[in-house]
Amino acid sequence: MADAFSETDPQTNTGLLTDRNVRLAGQVVAVVFAAAVLYLLYRIASLVDLGLLETIFPRFVDAYLLVLFIFVVGGVLSVILGVFVGLGRISRSTLTRGVTVGYVEFFRGTPLLFQLIVIYYGIPTLFGGPDFPIQNWEIPAAILGLTLNHGAYIGEAIRGGINSVPDGQMEAARSLGMSYIGAMREVVLPQAWRNALPAMGNDQVILIKDTSLLTVIAVPELLSQFRDVYSTTFDPWTPILLVAVAYLCLTLPLSYVVTYFERRASPGGDNE
Amino acid sequence: MSDPQLVFDGVNKYFGENHVLKDIDLDVEDGEVVVVVGPSGSGKSTLLRCTNRLEEIQSGEIRLEGVSLTDPETDINLLRQRIGMVFQSFNLFPHKTALQNVTLAPRKVKGIAADDAEQTARDLLQRVGLEQKADSYPHQLSGGQQQRVAIARALAMRPHVMLFDEVTSALDPELVGEVLSVMRDLADEGMTMLVVTHEMGFAREVGDRIVLMADGEKVEEAQPEEFFENPETDRAKQFLSKFLEV
Repeated sequence: MADAFSETDPQTNTGLLTDRNVRLAGQVVAVVFAAAVLYLLYRIASLVDLGLLETIFPRFVDAYLLVLFIFVVGGVLSVILGVFVGLGRISRSTLTRGVTVGYVEFFRGTPLLFQLIVIYYGIPTLFGGPDFPIQNWEIPAAILGLTLNHGAYIGEAIRGGINSVPDGQMEAARSLGMSYIGAMREVVLPQAWRNALPAMGNDQVILIKDTSLLTVIAVPELLSQFRDVYSTTFDPWTPILLVAVAYLCLTLPLSYVVTYFERRASPGGDNE
Repeated sequence: MSDPQLVFDGVNKYFGENHVLKDIDLDVEDGEVVVVVGPSGSGKSTLLRCTNRLEEIQSGEIRLEGVSLTDPETDINLLRQRIGMVFQSFNLFPHKTALQNVTLAPRKVKGIAADDAEQTARDLLQRVGLEQKADSYPHQLSGGQQQRVAIARALAMRPHVMLFDEVTSALDPELVGEVLSVMRDLADEGMTMLVVTHEMGFAREVGDRIVLMADGEKVEEAQPEEFFENPETDRAKQFLSKFLEV
């Protein structure tokens, strides 16, 4: 045993790669990085046009609210869809399982941008072309695309969550006379939910960031506003600043909400 | 119909190629405690799991109070309400308190009002000596306490028959007694019980009949005294000698 240790030891703790040196190197990199960022921010700050900032602020507020709306609707719908997808993936019916797998593979296997284009440009031609009845199709198309795409990811998260609940839970519930659906709803899903929360929270943050793709289907979201402003003023940094702040004002609160739910979902609200 | 309460009639069960229950015939009378013993892998747990159709059998029939459990037409959810089951690994619902574990099925399955279900649950928890633990979550309870909550949970559905599947096997030795004592009380109150266990002392004291299973077959069925003092088959002698050695 002692020999085994002395054989592997030289690789890990002699020469330059000692724990101490690695830690030191990490700190040096961090300092250099922080200095570079601060310098860039200082340069950018001098380029921001406060007058322009004031004029364009309202349109970014509108865009922010629109993205928030699309995220909330798309997020809620994708979670609802995801629960059904997760249940479909573990169904005993080959047909149900097959259809669900096909759905998941398609929406995870093709780019969201492509899916948005299919929905925005493709669907109206199937239902009346120029007479397509839905006005402002870009907003429903955006919500539909994000829901279908993220429903697939959330479905996988829920399936993973369900699979990590021990079989004994379903058996105990069924042995008490509960139906499959009743046992799922009361016993398995609440536990699966908790297991799936980190992955689902992660996905919802990605959903927020994915709204930036909606610029290609004419949704007046944050990046569209940037392009509008930039194409007339040729000032990139002032609108960029607003875009960055707007995205962080969406993603950071969401992270806190997810953490809150994770804490609340653990039994007794404390450890485990 | 003067069928015994629980009847196994030529039950056969396969896991793939593996023949795990071979032509099992067994009658359990009302109020009787039948203890199933045997080496691991002998099919005794499978027999219990088939009794409430957690596993499907391939041929034969199991009847509870004259109603076929294994008929696909039978409403199994209704029948399961009459069969309580307690598992080796407790399987309490970790996201619910002891009280909520006990009230869940009566409320959701039988539609009993919350207040009534809670009153019944508190009575049952008192019966298993855990009235103070009503608001504890499973992870705050010892194994023995969890198993007693699991027994209360099964009793809350007012079952006619109780199945116990090696309910003390996962417990620390010093916690086995409290669970067995709850089971003993149940037996004294006249509950019909089918018990799979390795606790030979319990089997002998509480059992009305002992069934020995080996390799999926019912090898011997006898009164406890007879089984332990004077086993008929060589297989039973061999099995019992292993326990005497320890």
